[in-house]
Amino acid sequence: MTSRSLSPLRPKPEGPFPPTEAMLDEQAPQGLDSDSANRLREVWKTPTGWRYWSAVNNSEVGKWYSLTAFFFMLCAGILALAMRVQLAAPDIEVMSADRYNQFFTMHGSAMMFLFAVPMFEAISIILLPGLLGARDMPFPRLSAFGYWSFLIGGVFVLGSLLFDAAPRAGWFMYPPLATEDAGPGSDIWLLGLSFIEVASIAAAVELIVGTLKCRPPGMRVNLMPLYAWYVLVVGGMILFAFPPLIAGDFLFELERSFDWPFFDPTRGGDPMLWQHLFWIFGHPEVYIIFLPSIAIAAMIVPTVAQRPIVGYSWIVLSAVGTGFLSFGLWVHHMYTTGLPTLSLGFFSAASEAVVIPTGVQLFAFLATLMAGRIRMILPMLWIAGALAIFTMGGLTGVMLALAPFDFQVHDTYFVVAHLHYTLFGGMVFPVMAGVYYYYPFIAKKTLSERLGRWAFWLIFTGFNVTFLPMHLTGLLGMPRRVYTYPEGLGWEVTNLISTVGAFVIAAGFAVFVWDLLRPKGSQPLCPRNPWKAGTLEWAHDVPEEPWGMRSIPYISTRYPLWEQPKFLDRVEEGRFYLPDAEEGLRETIVTSVIDARPILVQRVNTPTWITHIAAVFTGGAFIFPTFHLYTPAIVSGVLAVCAILYWLWTTTARPPEADMKDVGLGLRLPTYVSGPESCGWWAMWITMLGDATAFSSIVFGFFFYWTSNTAFPPPDALHAGAGAVAVAAAAFAAGWLLTIAARFTNRRGRVGAARAALAAGALSTCIGAAALIVSVLPLDPTSHVYPALMWALMVWIVAHAGVGLVMQLYCLAGSLTGKMTPRYEADIWNVSLYWHFFAVSALVACALMGPVARLL
Amino acid sequence: MTDQGHQTNQDRKEFSDEAGSLWRIALAPSVWAGHFVLCYASVSLACVRGLLPIEATRLSLIAVSVIVLVVFVWQGWRAWRQWAPERGHPSALSEGKAEDRHRFLGHATFLLTLISGIATVYTTLPLLLLEGCR
Repeated sequence: MTSRSLSPLRPKPEGPFPPTEAMLDEQAPQGLDSDSANRLREVWKTPTGWRYWSAVNNSEVGKWYSLTAFFFMLCAGILALAMRVQLAAPDIEVMSADRYNQFFTMHGSAMMFLFAVPMFEAISIILLPGLLGARDMPFPRLSAFGYWSFLIGGVFVLGSLLFDAAPRAGWFMYPPLATEDAGPGSDIWLLGLSFIEVASIAAAVELIVGTLKCRPPGMRVNLMPLYAWYVLVVGGMILFAFPPLIAGDFLFELERSFDWPFFDPTRGGDPMLWQHLFWIFGHPEVYIIFLPSIAIAAMIVPTVAQRPIVGYSWIVLSAVGTGFLSFGLWVHHMYTTGLPTLSLGFFSAASEAVVIPTGVQLFAFLATLMAGRIRMILPMLWIAGALAIFTMGGLTGVMLALAPFDFQVHDTYFVVAHLHYTLFGGMVFPVMAGVYYYYPFIAKKTLSERLGRWAFWLIFTGFNVTFLPMHLTGLLGMPRRVYTYPEGLGWEVTNLISTVGAFVIAAGFAVFVWDLLRPKGSQPLCPRNPWKAGTLEWAHDVPEEPWGMRSIPYISTRYPLWEQPKFLDRVEEGRFYLPDAEEGLRETIVTSVIDARPILVQRVNTPTWITHIAAVFTGGAFIFPTFHLYTPAIVSGVLAVCAILYWLWTTTARPPEADMKDVGLGLRLPTYVSGPESCGWWAMWITMLGDATAFSSIVFGFFFYWTSNTAFPPPDALHAGAGAVAVAAAAFAAGWLLTIAARFTNRRGRVGAARAALAAGALSTCIGAAALIVSVLPLDPTSHVYPALMWALMVWIVAHAGVGLVMQLYCLAGSLTGKMTPRYEADIWNVSLYWHFFAVSALVACALMGPVARLL
Repeated sequence: MTDQGHQTNQDRKEFSDEAGSLWRIALAPSVWAGHFVLCYASVSLACVRGLLPIEATRLSLIAVSVIVLVVFVWQGWRAWRQWAPERGHPSALSEGKAEDRHRFLGHATFLLTLISGIATVYTTLPLLLLEGCR
């Protein structure tokens, strides 16, 4: 034992990999079949009765997630119908202007935040483990926590409509309209949706780590299903797109609650900062919605053509390229705000350039279809509809990207028509195709072919009847967001046609909802691979088994069901990896990022209620401030932190019962790794990338004010105390170095030194936070935007210091109780990674508050 | 496994090569993004804050564009060699061998460099076509 603590033994994978054909041909070990299947089934069993709701398995959480998002979408659709009724004829008053404002605000907000983005996450949570032959996502409880947060936040935001208190300043919440709006509407939007955005980022972390680390052995990056590539790209985009909005929400809510004038020009603020932050989120958001939906098409098209996709690398290029370029478009929502013409030119150019990668993927699909033998199955009908509608939307997009054209139609119904064409073609139709395509995978039954065709033609026709005339309405000058209009402007006929079309769409959705929800008890189970697809997810079990995959396969092709001989038999007979669960633990295999070499058996979490408790209290921390109830909010926040700590402490990075485990085919894998090989480290890395983006957005704010306002900082401004800021910088740097020292000494077995470093680091963190608070105390944040921004930086850094402190103490407690040892050190690796990021942001903030502000 | 030590060494080398080419995949679009931000920020400083003379800014940015395009040509040529289309079935690269993965990453990098180059040319067009701040 002493030798272990001095020089910790870190086991490496042992045994042959990749398996040879001869090994795969060997008979599975005796007694493997029924006993091991029973053990595996028992371990992965979904809880029954009321405990069903404690499930964390990806299939259950994914189902709830997608049905909830679909329900919110129907609610938002009903709002749209009500608006169309109000607009059917000139000068009528079906509802008041105020209610109409609430309806259009909530229609857009709900469709974006409660339907489109969560739907991507929901579908990916359902499909990804199947596509990757994994038993589950790497952090099932995180998915569940994300779902319950989404449910609470969504019900809260949407429920405000019932109390006539909903947000009503438009889905992009422009100040000063939204900042000055009386009533809790804007606060509900800001806090409720921030809460959901946090859940979105959690899901993005889960999906990125899942794609990078939970691929089946052998699935190198060039063999990944295209859907997984898209998930990777979209996950990355969420990390860079949502944080600016969260930072914007943070500033906005500080203005709403405490009158810190970030967007108030009379005190040096600038409403344009919100527009920038909102659209740096808002435009990539469009592609965050579009890419995963087109990814569904990338899965369906090869099946329809019965051949591998044409231009795999080209599609990867377009996904990655679109992901990047979409961040250079945001100002095309702001062409009429008076930016320099040259700046508009850059964004116009990027808006045109993004057409190229977008077009490449569509042409790759067409080429696949032309090269194959098409079977016009129902999902393909929806994909065809999607391509037609999206292309139309793309064409008006090319027009709108030109600034002079946009000046003419800005804020008219032309824009409304354009965005609905892109979103229906780019999101709704492909997702519907996905529902029809994947329903047999999810429910082991098929949807009705006849009803599906009815739904398609109703929605397709209704859609064009509604939105095609809307282009004309817009060109005739009708502005968005007016609740009624006078007679004689030539808008009557097209508006009436649009209203009729909207009801046709609704009829189509009614058919679809009936088909989806009608009882199917008497219907026979579907065949195992009803579309004769070639990808891994169709190795699922019919009737359903809870384990996801009987044994985790070795993958050497892009379409294993088509191209790997005897593949299904081998999966079925448990000849691949992990066909058993001897220890009675849920497990999946973790592999390396590029070549998917097996490196670890990951123990994944089991059903629990702690995620519900954590979600409820996190919800409280966001919802109470809406009503200015700060004490309950703080209590909720503390309880949420306690719940999360309990969850982490009891179930993550615990020392395993044995260091190595036989996973089959002669391969033995470690059961515990730390640092860059582990999933937790990657999750921390990805989360902190998002966090760093949010912090950068606040720093961007600082330089934005400085650029747009020559009196920032004001010449006579009181600055944050130089001495206190210097002390804070030194203390945070010390906290950082001590944390790193703790990792090194712990690893070398000098546990006492590590504990001392952690304790000293914690003290240092407290000193840093206190000094930073002291540095801004003389400044009055309500007087001008400059002191307000200093306070905001302080709040951000001190809050993060609090998290850093909890992490240091967590490791200290772990070391004292034997959870963290020189051998089992994942916690300190993850914590020091957090500290790298935190230290950089703390030092940047101190530099801004100290020397930079004085020099500028 | 014939020679465990040799195998591990080879793996390590292979991995560091590939970690490099994974990074190179994102290099071209990142350079595009950096160029884009530079253009946006300098024009804002010139036209909004009034710190820089616009004409000199415009010409310097055009010069930066040229440098960026040269980097892309060099990068694209490296990626082309990694892709090695002359070594047969260029479009497939769909087998589970290290070489296929290697060439796939080359192909993807080449295409991304191409698209980043086009996007950079697009960004440069306003600099060539528009003069002054208004």
